[in-house]
Amino acid sequence: MYAYDNFDQTIVRERTAEFRDQVKRRLTGELTEEQFLPLRLMNGLYLQLHAYMLRIAVPYGTLSVRQMRKLAEIARKYDRGYGHFTTRQNIQFNWIKLEQVPDLLEDLATVEMHGIQTSGNCIRNVTADHFAGVARDEIEDPRIVSEIIRQWSTFHPEFSFLPRKFKIAVTGAPNDRAAVQWHDIGIQVVSGDDGERGYRIYVGGGMGRTPVIGSLIRPFLAKDQLLFYLESIMRVYNRYGRRDNIYKARIKILVRGLGPEEFTRQVEEEWAEIRKTGIDLLPEEEARIRKFFTPPAYATPSEPVASYDEAKEKNPQFARWVEVNVHPHKMPGYAAVTLSLKPIGGIPGDASAEQMEGVADLAEQYSFGEVRVTHIQNLILADVRQADLFALWQRLTEIGFATANVGLVSDIIACPGLDYCSLATARSIPISQRISERFDDLDRQYDVGPLQIKISGCINACGHHHAGHIGILGVDRNGQELYQITLGGAADETASVGQLIGPGFTADDVVDIIETIVGTYLEVRKPGEVFIDAYRRVGVAPFKEKVYAGR
Amino acid sequence: MPVVDRNGSIEDSWTVLADCVPAVKGASIVVSVDRLKSEHNSLFAEASAVGVEVVGDVDVDGLKPFLPRLGLVVVRFDTMKDGRPFSVGRLLRERYAYEKDLRATGPFIPDQALFLLRCGFTSFDVDDGFSIEALKRSIAAYSVWYQRASDRAATVLDLRHKNDATPTNRNNVS
Repeated sequence: MYAYDNFDQTIVRERTAEFRDQVKRRLTGELTEEQFLPLRLMNGLYLQLHAYMLRIAVPYGTLSVRQMRKLAEIARKYDRGYGHFTTRQNIQFNWIKLEQVPDLLEDLATVEMHGIQTSGNCIRNVTADHFAGVARDEIEDPRIVSEIIRQWSTFHPEFSFLPRKFKIAVTGAPNDRAAVQWHDIGIQVVSGDDGERGYRIYVGGGMGRTPVIGSLIRPFLAKDQLLFYLESIMRVYNRYGRRDNIYKARIKILVRGLGPEEFTRQVEEEWAEIRKTGIDLLPEEEARIRKFFTPPAYATPSEPVASYDEAKEKNPQFARWVEVNVHPHKMPGYAAVTLSLKPIGGIPGDASAEQMEGVADLAEQYSFGEVRVTHIQNLILADVRQADLFALWQRLTEIGFATANVGLVSDIIACPGLDYCSLATARSIPISQRISERFDDLDRQYDVGPLQIKISGCINACGHHHAGHIGILGVDRNGQELYQITLGGAADETASVGQLIGPGFTADDVVDIIETIVGTYLEVRKPGEVFIDAYRRVGVAPFKEKVYAGR
Repeated sequence: MPVVDRNGSIEDSWTVLADCVPAVKGASIVVSVDRLKSEHNSLFAEASAVGVEVVGDVDVDGLKPFLPRLGLVVVRFDTMKDGRPFSVGRLLRERYAYEKDLRATGPFIPDQALFLLRCGFTSFDVDDGFSIEALKRSIAAYSVWYQRASDRAATVLDLRHKNDATPTNRNNVS
């Protein structure tokens, strides 16, 4: 993975010192809360219902063992012994005291970590495919360009006070596991006609109260033009994005208002000027960064491991886990393993300090010392030898991260909701827990097959409900929590916006409704047809009929 | 109101003229964009120096014919969260080659000073309560940065690769 040089380290140290000074000035009253707000947000610090929440950047979801152990230490030292992995591949701590934040950031800086631009109206921490570097369908490792973007976007002098937040995601593969079309800018590495690699650029995707799938504005961009092109997009947005209404300030509204053609024309016009100024993405810098992502020293592919096959045969639970939570790897004899942070009845994405340390130990022993965070709020050990899978499974079972439900009905994304968040209008976590408990039978989940449920506790859609095969949005109706259901959303390369099926349901009813929807799918599906495909074939009508029968 | 640059207070001889106030012969005056466009002949003839005050949504291209003769461009922040002046600054410096004083005004805070300098601003029109000490600290807070900008200061990339043999044309703006 990427390692800081002196320059990267200096920048983070200087930021830590600067924020210490800003906190001091806030505490003495030299800075008003209004002035302090954008400054603290740009360091990932929110004021929530009960305390400050600090969001720590995990660039493109990659963590070293050392960093994971430091997060565990921070959970104990500054929080209540646990942390929460987020849909943007970050981690957040929910019980932080403002006075302690400078010390916390100083601790983080010792392991090349920080809260820079994890919030605020700036370019946020860049996200990428969690199978980067190991996926069989990958054209190029998306972490290379992600790291280039991380550096370019860090303290950008022109683009740190944008109309609204700005999220960039990168995939290096045609099968999109990074939801790039749902981002303000989505980047896909592609191969041109002559085999030359470049980027496909989507702009204006986003969730919130106006869900929009991004527009393809450039099918192929030469590599050395990436930063200039990004600057052109950002400049058009910074100058012309709306600043009078925060609900209309995202770039998606500008793209829609101008129309994708006119927006593209303005970007290309800006680019034609900017590109005259030389080359911004040095080939030698790309080469320097690329070196950090050379594959680890894989063992020579061996014969099929007899003990592994034997273990599967003897232990059906292990076999099921392999089938559901273990993914193909580009190297024969290796596998990528998803650690499910969705135990039945648990809080999606939560991990205790002990669990973090346990994962760090396992990563050290079995996966070249590296852990990934997924936007589905799970963790990944990306480079595990097939021969080690059984031992790993046993250890993960002890830790509590071996639930064989990855991609299934209880692998739910949920925002913190009304249990923590000051913006929320309804609870998300308890709904997620109850759905998970209702489907606690893993055989039943397995039979239902791939199904993504995503829950947001307010219209801001942090729980990605618009992109859920089943989306649940909690709203407040005259003091009562009401849950609206959408169907047919998707976050992959077939990205689509979920459609509202009708009036909402009470917290008491919503789990029954989900079960009805799943039951309807089981009735209509053809052999081997997954939920989203069946929905796309039959449409919303059969689901509506069942759900609203007798209502 | 005091005017400061990166080193502290500076002399300010500019007078901001409301549109209804006639230009004073021989004075240094700052006028609105509309007035500049409609009265530029008489303004440049009578005043000893002419400046213009703009807001973030200014059509920078429309200022182009006047820029070589302007002695000051003031860019006004609507609120401290208004990020448009940063783009206006870079466009004026990098695309339109404006070289005279570029001044920020409005409710920006000292912590934004470094970015303003990097985007080509050279002075700051501030309230009496504005902390010049905080401004100086903000400017000194960082010793290196990743992006190229109007100040043409060396970037991390320049420093990393200064000994690389590969010749590049990346600094042909300067």
